[in-house]
Amino acid sequence: MSAPATAASTTDAEVVQTQSAPPRRSWPGYLTMPLILGLVCLGMFLYVQSRELDSIEARSLNARTILTALQGHVMLTAVSTLVTLVISVPLGVLLTRSFTRVIRPYIIGVLTVLQAVPTIAILVLLAVAFLFLGFQAAIVGLVLYAIIPVLLNTMVGLEQVDENVMEAGRGMGFSRWQVLTKLEVPLAVPVILAGVRTALVINVGTATLVTYIDAGGLGDIIVAGLSTNRILVQLIGAALTAVLALLVDYIAGIAEDLLRPKGL
Amino acid sequence: MNFGEFLIRRADDMLELGLAHAAVVGGAVLISTLIGVALGVLTYQSERARETVLAITGSFLTIPSFALFILLLGPLGLGWKPVLFALVLYGLMPVVRNTITGLRGVDPAVVESAKGMGLSRRQLLLRIELPLAWPVIITGVRVTTLVLLGIAAIGAIVNGPGYGELIFTGLARVGTPVAVNMVLAGAVGVMILAVVFDLAFYTAKRLTTSRGIR
Repeated sequence: MSAPATAASTTDAEVVQTQSAPPRRSWPGYLTMPLILGLVCLGMFLYVQSRELDSIEARSLNARTILTALQGHVMLTAVSTLVTLVISVPLGVLLTRSFTRVIRPYIIGVLTVLQAVPTIAILVLLAVAFLFLGFQAAIVGLVLYAIIPVLLNTMVGLEQVDENVMEAGRGMGFSRWQVLTKLEVPLAVPVILAGVRTALVINVGTATLVTYIDAGGLGDIIVAGLSTNRILVQLIGAALTAVLALLVDYIAGIAEDLLRPKGL
Repeated sequence: MNFGEFLIRRADDMLELGLAHAAVVGGAVLISTLIGVALGVLTYQSERARETVLAITGSFLTIPSFALFILLLGPLGLGWKPVLFALVLYGLMPVVRNTITGLRGVDPAVVESAKGMGLSRRQLLLRIELPLAWPVIITGVRVTTLVLLGIAAIGAIVNGPGYGELIFTGLARVGTPVAVNMVLAGAVGVMILAVVFDLAFYTAKRLTTSRGIR
């Protein structure tokens, strides 16, 4: 949660989920992460190249398999993030309108506790209870899990818009709709962007697990390594997943810095 | 066999797994709270240190849990150790962030007058700043606990303790009637733990917040 949220977070701090983007980043600050990730990838590549792979290892650790898994993973992340946002941002707006004021603390409380439902349980339930497998099932599972943090983020973001600003808007003759679109939403943009970033990071991580419901992704490589007892394959799969997640978070962080409305 | 009957028949399993789940999460929360508060206290006064520690602990949280458990398999082996270690790493960020937020939210006038009364740096921290920041810190710990409860279930992949075992065994028996019950039992178990921990934190927050700011 960014610094302006401090006042709100003393009461609503249970919902602070996103990490704050550092307000100002120096050039070396921007370059550290890609440099580290590049070195990790280079190290993995050189190590795998220097090893004599047996046939099982070679089946997982080749450019084609890895690229397919990577592509699947990125698709899963992108689609699920998009769906998450389409659902949770409007829902967040709806739940912060005045008619929900009485029940809002309870909604927030329930949503907070619901975050403890393990992702893997949602995914596996789709598979075992409804025999729902594959890409679409994965999207449903990912979205169900990511909705809550993004929704909480949006709600807190909209709630912390200064009441005086809205009052001033009303005084200027803005309609309710205008107050929402011209004041509340622009002022809440940083928080919504943080929500996008949260959704991306959660989905890129959870997408590792959808291999268990036959939906592909980098989890395929890890599980292939686990089931054939090839440690190298497991490690490469896990390290690639970690690199991808950190990269996605890094890019989202830059986008957050660039897209934040000027003057905030 | 419906879900209720399943739960009754497996009651001692459920209890045992629940205790193991609670123990590993509780242990991890305790360790991350100690480390996290210490990191927060050490860094909250300097912007650069603050940003660095938040960026590093934040990037732990970015690494997918499935991948981290596997990466820890090498150095720590199977069982509760990789799970505990991973959970501690995941738990740090919310605690550090809320510690910093809490300490920075302390009214400078209060700090100033405490200094004027002749309190040393250490007394100031222990008697003024930390007690005032405590409600925010414990809220961070609470968030951490809820997130860790869910992540711990994935720890079953490295033979970690807790309800994840039911979920993964259920997955392996997909298509059989018992599979749904097992997965559901695992999820419900975690939810019950979440509610119990949440209530515990609610009570702890009330009891440990100093009376003047309650």
